[in-house]
Amino acid sequence: MSAGGSGGPATGGIDHNKIIIFGIIGALVGIYAAYFLVNAIGSAFSFIAGLGAICSIVWGASAVRRVSNYGLGTGVPSIGMLAIGTGMVASLFGMAVGSIAGPIISFVTACIIGLVIGILANRIIGMGIPIMEQSMTEIAGAGSLTIVALSTTMSGTFMIETILPNVIGTGYIAMIFIIGALSILHPFNANLGPDEHQDRTLSTGFEKGAIAVIIAGIVATTTAGAASIPTILVGAFIWYTAFSKFYEYIKRDAHKVVGTGVLPTEEELE
Amino acid sequence: MDPLLGMGVLALMGAAATIAGATEDLESDVGSQSNPNSQVQLAPQMMHPHRIYNKAISGEPPSNALMCAIGGTIASVMMSAYGLSVVFAITFGAAIAAVIHGTYAASSFMGRVSSQKRFKQPLYLDIVRSHTPVIIGYAFLTTFFILVISYLMSSVLNHPFPLPLLAFIWGITVGAIGSSTGDVHYGAEREYQNVEFGSGINAANSGDIVRHGESGLRNGIDNAWFCSKFGGPVTGIAFGMTVFLSGWVTTVFNPGESITMGWLSVIAGLLIVAILIIGNRIIETWARSTYGPYQEEESEEVTA
Repeated sequence: MSAGGSGGPATGGIDHNKIIIFGIIGALVGIYAAYFLVNAIGSAFSFIAGLGAICSIVWGASAVRRVSNYGLGTGVPSIGMLAIGTGMVASLFGMAVGSIAGPIISFVTACIIGLVIGILANRIIGMGIPIMEQSMTEIAGAGSLTIVALSTTMSGTFMIETILPNVIGTGYIAMIFIIGALSILHPFNANLGPDEHQDRTLSTGFEKGAIAVIIAGIVATTTAGAASIPTILVGAFIWYTAFSKFYEYIKRDAHKVVGTGVLPTEEELE
Repeated sequence: MDPLLGMGVLALMGAAATIAGATEDLESDVGSQSNPNSQVQLAPQMMHPHRIYNKAISGEPPSNALMCAIGGTIASVMMSAYGLSVVFAITFGAAIAAVIHGTYAASSFMGRVSSQKRFKQPLYLDIVRSHTPVIIGYAFLTTFFILVISYLMSSVLNHPFPLPLLAFIWGITVGAIGSSTGDVHYGAEREYQNVEFGSGINAANSGDIVRHGESGLRNGIDNAWFCSKFGGPVTGIAFGMTVFLSGWVTTVFNPGESITMGWLSVIAGLLIVAILIIGNRIIETWARSTYGPYQEEESEEVTA
């Protein structure tokens, strides 16, 4: 892609460290709250894991934005795929061995693999992006939390005995893989350009995350541990709010939003 | 399974794949996805604002994998949880997947235009309103026919993979074939109709795409019209052949019967690949000798 990021550190109103905390805490609280509330009260609370998924997706999108701003163009999709690929390996491992600690083990494993990838990319391949190690760690971690959270939204638990027949055996894991990857990489990819703004990119992250939650809600109809209607409703509400916000930012940021018209003249472009 | 029945299913899959390939390419052309995207993206920067829909959903393979996997997931849910018939389930899945694809297309078009504020590229809402439904329509057709292929594979041909996973894999495949086969027709030929055929895209011409149509200003739907004459159908044939020929070798020489048949299917596959390579080489040398290499005229200097 010819038009990459602006080639320097990303700027924006919200401090990235706050988004990291929002992503990790939000996702883990969402996953565990859904697990315990589903066990204690009923399957209707499985949607809380969906909220956790949105937190980790927004964090992942922010991390992609930060690293891609160093001039990645066509590399944006690749880095998103890498995130969710690493996350997939780590989360299946974590859920298989971890039992109740599954999400945390998944997250830690993903961060370690991400760090190794970051070191390889910077030290061996020599990409020379200053924040590569940190960003790859973050992106892989966000990917693994997204997968665990979406799986929990679908089945109400992250126990591998339930995930295996309900999410992996049925093939829904393929959908989680691709929708997780696209939700993380699309926000920055969709807003790529010299006049990209943090709030617009993150609102796209919320919007795409909400779509993933809606789909996870539809899948929840097939499982006993998760309820689909609350998840779909919550997802649809967040999607509507986020998309309205996104469109507001579009009207704020675009050069001109017109119903129709001819091309600007030479004088106007000067 | 009866070999004749197997051949019939394979023929149906090939036909579905041909339509899926053609609609996939046209869907990407309406929105200038993947290959041609960078030139459309670059145009405003080179003082060439345009009225062309420009969606970047991370290249065609992932975006098609997304909509096919969503479609396969919903269809599978509809069949297992609600006992819906296959036709309704697949239609429903494809419809939801296509609408979601529409949201991805709209957000990437509006987002990228807004991120080009300094180049004074306006956001034309009529382009959003007229092109997004066309993209959704083509996405529906692609997803529908990919799901038909995946369903036939899993239920009739007894493929061990579940429907969403098959749809995901075929989505990547159709996206990859659409990106490699059809995009050339749009990217190099349509966007650069004003330069001599075969001259490639000179770096100095980057972003200098054709912005005026046969009548008025050109948009993405005009491009789909142009590509439907050759790029779309040729993508369909390429994808249809991929599906048909890759299934043909194991239907005629069923490895389930004996180990000899298994080896025969491998040999048949290798033969097909060899014939295709030789055929491509013959076409290439014939085209080169007939049209000759492109020669740049010395006197005509290209100015940026």
